[in-house]
Amino acid sequence: MIQFQQVTKKFHNMSAVDSVSLQIKPGEIIGFLGPNGAGKTTTMRLLLGYLRPSSGAVSIEKKDPHRQRIAILKMIGYLPENNPLYLEMKVAEYLQFVASIKEVKKEQIQSVVEQVALDEVLETKIEELSRGFKQRVGLAAALIGEPKILILDEPTSGLDPIEQDRIKDLIKKMAKKKTVIFSTHILSEVEDVATRLMIINQGQIVYDGEKPKKAGGVEKLFKKLVKKE
Amino acid sequence: MFTLYKKELAYYLNNSIGYIVIILFAIFANFLYVKDIFVVGSASMRPFFNILPWLLMVFVPALCMRSIAEEKRTNTIELLLTLPVSETQVVLAKYLALLTLTGVSFVLTMGLPVSLFFLTKSNLSNLYIPEILVGYVGSILIASAFISLSLFFSSKTKNQVVAFLSSAVILFFLIIFSSDFASSVLPKALQDRLNYLSPVYHLQNFIKGLVDLRSLFYFLSFTVAFLFMTIIELEKRE
Repeated sequence: MIQFQQVTKKFHNMSAVDSVSLQIKPGEIIGFLGPNGAGKTTTMRLLLGYLRPSSGAVSIEKKDPHRQRIAILKMIGYLPENNPLYLEMKVAEYLQFVASIKEVKKEQIQSVVEQVALDEVLETKIEELSRGFKQRVGLAAALIGEPKILILDEPTSGLDPIEQDRIKDLIKKMAKKKTVIFSTHILSEVEDVATRLMIINQGQIVYDGEKPKKAGGVEKLFKKLVKKE
Repeated sequence: MFTLYKKELAYYLNNSIGYIVIILFAIFANFLYVKDIFVVGSASMRPFFNILPWLLMVFVPALCMRSIAEEKRTNTIELLLTLPVSETQVVLAKYLALLTLTGVSFVLTMGLPVSLFFLTKSNLSNLYIPEILVGYVGSILIASAFISLSLFFSSKTKNQVVAFLSSAVILFFLIIFSSDFASSVLPKALQDRLNYLSPVYHLQNFIKGLVDLRSLFYFLSFTVAFLFMTIIELEKRE
């Protein structure tokens, strides 16, 4: 269970996240929407213990992600925004590095490689890969260690429609066993993948609930709520 | 932590930059000593150890400048710190990898004492080996202090050039605190105090073959203080 209780995060007196309270149950797929600078990435970083809240409390399975960062990070797979990678490494080398830090056996890397379809580029340097492949490498790294929670910050940003579909299918497949929180600007993606929708604007959660059932409903709701603010 | 250490070391070993910096250091260190070897007229490695801080002033910041600054620029620092590793492990792995590389570059200067040994042997004069060994220990200690300082400046910025220049300038001032120039310009009372802060002053004992515990403590505390500040800098994410 993930919990935010009245969490505020300020950067130089500016609130990036403002009094956010939420609960996420195991197995949910959360589509996290919001305009640029709304506080999506900050919320995710708070969840990872990468940032410390200015006030309020964050907990994952009753543990504080900032104080017990190492223990919490063992159960989270994270794909950061813009997918930073060690470009000078080969794909196999990079996955081995992540697996070694997460203390995961080599056999598990192979199963992730198959899941994400990276076999053909294992011996290629990451800097030589296409954007789609780079994204898959980032996703594979997040999946290593069979994390219970998967946090994906704009996983399909900048990808062509075919790669977008591939990543969407992967998220759906993985979500059967995990809690997934993903942020995106592609509203149709939320309609396809998420089981629950959260919209954040100016650091506050303005919608938290079921996604609209009608086609195009997410877009309408998003525009309505974000315009209002 | 060993995984992080291997990754850091592999970056320099799989990259021409690491080799270029180490080989350039070896060339300069060997050349600057050998050019005056017959002028000095004594079989001693002291002139070599005396020029080392000046070389390290450029070599160490050049080697360290990318270490954290580049991770910050490319945001791989977020990737690293959202894996189950602590800031202390990250900083120590980087420090140890850089110390290893500096150690390798010192190995490339080992030809000097070996040549000197054979040269003096034919003249029936003696080369005092323990003095040379203690000199190398002192050199490793001063390099360790310089690495920790350069790592700290690398953690303060996203720009490698800024990291290089700020470390090199601070090291330059620390070195000249104990130079003749400082003693001729500064009041004696002030120079005495600044002198004690200079790593070169503490290196002198090692160069003479003396393991002075005060100097040992100085180098160790200098290194630990800057490594600690680097860890704090990484913990501050905002």
